[in-house]
Amino acid sequence: MLHNPLILLIAAPIVMGAICVILPDRIKVFIKIAASFVCLASFAGTIFVFLKKPLVYNYDSYTVLLADNLSGFIAAAIAAFALLITIYSFGFIERSFGRYFGYVLMTLGASMGAVFANDMIVLLTFWGFLAAMLYLMVNLKGTDASAAAAKKSLIMIGGTDALMVFGLCLVWSMTKTFMMSGVRIPLSSAPAYVAYFSLAIAAFAKAGAMPFHSWLPDVAEFAPASVTAYLPASLDKLLGIYLLARISLSLFAVNGVTNTVLAVVGAVTIIFAVIIALVQHDLKRLLGYHAVSQVGYMVLGIGTGNPIGIAGGLFHMLNHAVYKSCLFLSAGSVEKRSGTADLDKLGGLAKYMPVTFAAFLVASLSISGIPPFNGFVSKWMIYQGIIASAGPKNPLWIVWLVAAMFGSALTVASFMKLLHSVFLGRPDRELKDVKEVGFAMSFPVIVLALVCFIFGVFAFILPLPVLIAPAIGLSIVYLGSWSPVIATILIITGITAGIFVYYVFRSKKTFRTVSIFVGGEDVETLGRISGTDFYDTIKDMKALGGIYKKEAAGGLDLYNITRNAVYYFTRQLQHLHNGVLPTYLVWCLLGMIGMFLVVFLRWQW
Amino acid sequence: MISLLLIIPLSSAFLIPIIGKRIKWTGGAISSLAAFALAANSFVIISNLMKYKTLLYKFGAFPPPAGISLIVDGLSVFLLITVNVVAFLIALFSMDYMKQYTDRWKFYTLFMFMLAGVNGVLIAGDIFNLYVFLEVAAIAGYFLVGFGVRDEELEAAFKYAVMGSVASIFILLGIGLLYSYTSTLNMAEMARILPQTGTSSLVTFVSVLFLMGFGLKAALVPFHSWLPYAHSQAPAPISAMLSGVSIKVLGIYALARIFFNVLGMTPAVCFILIALAVLSMVAGSIMAFGQSDIKRLFAYSSISQIGYIALGLGIGTPLAISGALFHLFNHSIFKSLLFLNSGSIEYAAGTRDLNRIRNVIREDPVTGYTNLIGSLSICGVPPLGGFWSKLIIILACIQANHPILAFVAAVVSMLTLAYYFKALTPALFGTHATAGIKASGRKISFAMAAPMVILAILVVISGMMLLPNPGRELLKGAANVLQNGRNYGK
Repeated sequence: MLHNPLILLIAAPIVMGAICVILPDRIKVFIKIAASFVCLASFAGTIFVFLKKPLVYNYDSYTVLLADNLSGFIAAAIAAFALLITIYSFGFIERSFGRYFGYVLMTLGASMGAVFANDMIVLLTFWGFLAAMLYLMVNLKGTDASAAAAKKSLIMIGGTDALMVFGLCLVWSMTKTFMMSGVRIPLSSAPAYVAYFSLAIAAFAKAGAMPFHSWLPDVAEFAPASVTAYLPASLDKLLGIYLLARISLSLFAVNGVTNTVLAVVGAVTIIFAVIIALVQHDLKRLLGYHAVSQVGYMVLGIGTGNPIGIAGGLFHMLNHAVYKSCLFLSAGSVEKRSGTADLDKLGGLAKYMPVTFAAFLVASLSISGIPPFNGFVSKWMIYQGIIASAGPKNPLWIVWLVAAMFGSALTVASFMKLLHSVFLGRPDRELKDVKEVGFAMSFPVIVLALVCFIFGVFAFILPLPVLIAPAIGLSIVYLGSWSPVIATILIITGITAGIFVYYVFRSKKTFRTVSIFVGGEDVETLGRISGTDFYDTIKDMKALGGIYKKEAAGGLDLYNITRNAVYYFTRQLQHLHNGVLPTYLVWCLLGMIGMFLVVFLRWQW
Repeated sequence: MISLLLIIPLSSAFLIPIIGKRIKWTGGAISSLAAFALAANSFVIISNLMKYKTLLYKFGAFPPPAGISLIVDGLSVFLLITVNVVAFLIALFSMDYMKQYTDRWKFYTLFMFMLAGVNGVLIAGDIFNLYVFLEVAAIAGYFLVGFGVRDEELEAAFKYAVMGSVASIFILLGIGLLYSYTSTLNMAEMARILPQTGTSSLVTFVSVLFLMGFGLKAALVPFHSWLPYAHSQAPAPISAMLSGVSIKVLGIYALARIFFNVLGMTPAVCFILIALAVLSMVAGSIMAFGQSDIKRLFAYSSISQIGYIALGLGIGTPLAISGALFHLFNHSIFKSLLFLNSGSIEYAAGTRDLNRIRNVIREDPVTGYTNLIGSLSICGVPPLGGFWSKLIIILACIQANHPILAFVAAVVSMLTLAYYFKALTPALFGTHATAGIKASGRKISFAMAAPMVILAILVVISGMMLLPNPGRELLKGAANVLQNGRNYGK
């Protein structure tokens, strides 16, 4: 049993993580070495599995674990992220080493289990375990706000896990097996639809698609940045979209109805999340809303139902994990060095943290869908998928296309603000002593930024044919032509020419730089021009203003709406529980009368 | 061997007033030893039961049905082990916990009576003895709930006593009617006679009396209203006993034994049981949202979880029964763990108000982490025990073609997660201290920590009950007893 690589990949991190959790913080060097070694070994192991796939683990001719094209590449990505986050955490984490690295490893092992699972019970077990891990990791921060965020994430993700149990039990009742391979359920009956949407909701909550998104911005704001980069930004996306892809591509035979629902969820998520992101004042919360918004593209891509759209969605999932964890890790570096994530207080950090700035810039361009970075390629494929899905049966395709493109434009706008407020402009006086982060923290960020570039330029050489196309198992037909290598060369040529022109014709300095002077007053105290209120004017627009007000009051949050509904019933029931003994005896009597009616009038199902 | 199950607790209940009244520490020691002996004895019984399917003890060697008999079968032994192991850990916990009270020997004496009653119910072979032992356990319970003798504790004990007595009267009435109808009190004999007489409205009438009586003991809605008072006001070990042991043995076990093995499950009874179960699950969890007293929260959650067990029994397929019994086992472990946690939190913080308890996990890691494990389990987070039993129950609902019930069970599981972590996260992880946990300056001792740790370990590994041996055999043996219906005692 233990010589099976899949079992090892799952068991080794979990066992090692459990050991780390109980180790004392004193031996942090040992914990760090153990954690990085396990992550490195897992990464090597997943590469091995990826090359040797398909691999299975059978128990009595029953396939429990299965590494196929889809799970193979997602597992490799998960291990890579775990490795990078572990390296970053060497510099980032200052206390609770044992628990932190222990949870990181256990999360890694459980994610492997969830991805490789071919048995639905195994999938459920690891899937639910991950929710508890996120809860514990967010709580490592140990403040009231982080506790509240952790609570919300556990209730939303764990709560939808219960729906997943229900959905998988329905699947079992239709197929009479717990194995997922070789099963394809036609969406022809009500239970099939209920099962599909139960599972889809679990995937949405994990990935953070609307309306199950609201835990994500809270976690992003209040959890340690490395935790956000690890779980909500990368692993939860990979797993959530993996589940959505699994059920949409193989477990169920999807049709127009489900695709339309996915497209609606995707389009709404893209637009609303990015609109809310525009006006945020906290660096990490803003990134959190973008992490929601980008999920919309993945869901929309899968919802197109054609190979290129699905491939685009999956590629976007991978790309998003890369650039969003890069963004969160950079944000973590900024917060660690400057002591704040408040955009009003940040500014001008490009001078002090050039490496972080460069990586953040690359990731920002990537998330905004600017060529030649990876975000552009996957968005481009999703647009093609939407166009390819156009037809008399799908008249709404133009709406999805506009939503996707408009969302992309707003993302650019939002990141303009972010880049300005954090890295450009004039720095606050308190930020004068900020220094660049050490190698452990800058290395993962640089690697991720490079991946953004490589996956963009060599998209049709490296990631798409090796990782994505085999995973969906359909041939992808590209519309139009886009050659990223040539485009990159052209872009670089253009920029070089621009720099050349700038330096050649800058013969004489025609301006001088002086500090701001206002009648002898200290300008710094009068206020810098921060980028935070770039878009405050749109708050005044009638239609959008309402949305912002509601969002700020929590009125758009499914969590709050449900909570208020439940508390309404709680109050009604509390009125009945008035503490008077005769009342309670009357209930007993009424209960007995009811039972007599049932047995003597023979009420039945 | 079977008789030891009664001899041990009753003789310790006799010894404790004699010795424990003079030498203070002996009360706790005797009760812990006795509970340990009971647990050990239960394991001896199971090893014997492997050889003989049913163990029978005849009082005075009179053969049944004429004589009084004590019977242990798969179901009894399953519960005997659960109950006695949990009771032993609770007794251990109360050795130090009860030091805040005076007249501790009375507590231990009553505790032993309660244990004798519970064990007696599990092994009683005739229905009248079942009633007598049920009353022994219940009356000991009334006193123990009011043990602190403050106003609210006495009020709770009074409510519990009144409602419990009403239930007992209906049960006794039912037993009397059944005796007049079948001319026997022996349950095996009754099970033999009843099918021969055909259906009769008297039996139907009695079944409603029993459903109400045992339903009240099991705290099914709408007969549940004593439970939030009794469970929250009793000393923590007694809350753990009531929730982990009492409502299951006096309520669910008696209900299952009588309906499955003696009266027979009719569709109407199944329907009522399912209806009560759904009411309990939903109302219990919705009420739990409004609680800020940690023990009241756990109490309402008990109502909701008992609903799951009743649901499994009401559906009545083999899978559902196994799920129900497994959930019973799990609930008995994690709910007694949670009540012990609430005890140690109250011991250290001096309050049960969740709005004032903060930072448990850092100041008292043993309580904090065991509480976290117990809560995660009751909310059905894998791979802890509660997940598996809920999964089986949901699966059984779907298998029995009741998808709506499965959906209700899933939604209630969601609600459980929400109300537990809504209330407990700030208490465990929050730092904004209005009353830190160390407010009273008391530290929990080893004797309090050890039972919680053992229970937490049991919670983590209880999923292994589903592995082939010995867990699944034990569970299967218990479920088979219920499925065999009226072949009881053969």
